[in-house]
Amino acid sequence: MSEFQIYLLEVASDAPIEGSLIEGITEANVNDWEDAWMPALARALQQLKEKGVDRRLWPQSRHWDWRRKAEAFKGLLAAPSFSIVCQGMTQGLMIVETLESCRLLQQKGKPLVYIQYLETAPWNRPGLTTERPRLTGVGTLLVRAAIELSRSEGFGGRIGLHSLPQANAWYANVCGMSDLGIDPTKENLRYFEMTPEQADAFIAKGV
Amino acid sequence: MATSKKTMTLNLTDAEMSALEELCEKKDLSKTAVLRQALRLYQAVEVRAERGDKFFFEDEKTKEKAEVVML
Amino acid sequence: MKFEVTKEWCMKMARLEHEHGTDVEIGAGLFAADPSTQQPEYTVQESADPRIAFGRFVRLMRRGRKQTLEKLAEDADIDITELVEIEEDSHYTPEPRTVYQLASYFAIPSAKMMQLAGLSQQRDSHLVSEAIRFAARSEKVTDLNETERSALDAFVAVLSEQK
Repeated sequence: MSEFQIYLLEVASDAPIEGSLIEGITEANVNDWEDAWMPALARALQQLKEKGVDRRLWPQSRHWDWRRKAEAFKGLLAAPSFSIVCQGMTQGLMIVETLESCRLLQQKGKPLVYIQYLETAPWNRPGLTTERPRLTGVGTLLVRAAIELSRSEGFGGRIGLHSLPQANAWYANVCGMSDLGIDPTKENLRYFEMTPEQADAFIAKGV
Repeated sequence: MATSKKTMTLNLTDAEMSALEELCEKKDLSKTAVLRQALRLYQAVEVRAERGDKFFFEDEKTKEKAEVVML
Repeated sequence: MKFEVTKEWCMKMARLEHEHGTDVEIGAGLFAADPSTQQPEYTVQESADPRIAFGRFVRLMRRGRKQTLEKLAEDADIDITELVEIEEDSHYTPEPRTVYQLASYFAIPSAKMMQLAGLSQQRDSHLVSEAIRFAARSEKVTDLNETERSALDAFVAVLSEQK
């Protein structure tokens, strides 16, 4: 299991905090999800409820079970997974898949790294807490990991995903991905795809 | 730290090599990349088949299903 | 896989992520059912007995609060069909998330609820025997009478015990 050094931004101090991007999701990560993510999510949902926020605006991934997800894809070569650990806690999780093909006309049929599931810890999500998010950069680094895996596999940096509704703008504008529209076969989520050129442009944003 | 890799020599017939080269062209991938994809697909299908799932192709127009026979 | 990022890159991109405001929730993926696995990820051993207690416990707690199934499902943010299964079918194995939500809602330690629901590898024999006792005492469940009430209170005390 490979491990790579990364940095997240601690919002309160505006300082870089060292962490790791790890290839794989371990029992420790799943335990973190159970022991820390879930209670934090439950508290956040309670607050949303008290504020009278419409349930349709609640985080759509709130029913996700990472134990089941990790178990379902364990050992599958076609479904690599990633975790981000920082300050001794799992901050982000991702499972991808390498057998899908591109839909965008200019790269139709070519393989890409498809992001099946991506989630950041509840305390890092700006919309979910009344306090500031603790650490940012998790989502960005996981997308970068998908791009680098794509490059390593010879897929040129091509990635694809179905965005959770509240992330549509981020994938479109910050990641610069192509919006292929609502996919009625996938819970009406919006499908985004990234070309090798868009991948280069995304990476160039941080240089 | 990179994960270690093992090397293998592969003997292919002319027909197999031809099919491989065609896939490389189509998918814009190296021979190794194509073969790795094939392995991933085979493993994924096998895992599902063990669970009792069946592997189908569906005709987009007619919605007719044709089972892919797994050897 | 090659993965090399500089601290500067991480910081610049993280700030970009942060600047995007309060309405960004970065995530991707289908939000319906979880993928099925070859085997159930939690195998239920000989925990049929505590599971009867789990369903009964949930039902008594609900009725003790004079809640309908719909109300509890809504308040605890769980599926109502699952709630019905939990209360009606003593052999039903609930989703871990559902158990967690109920534990949270009833303010019971989740580890104990998970055990009760047959989802935990842990075997606390004291909890198991108390669960069986509770199930026996609360068997005739029509109205929440004095017997049921005191059985429920005693069981809640056991579940709330700090280990």
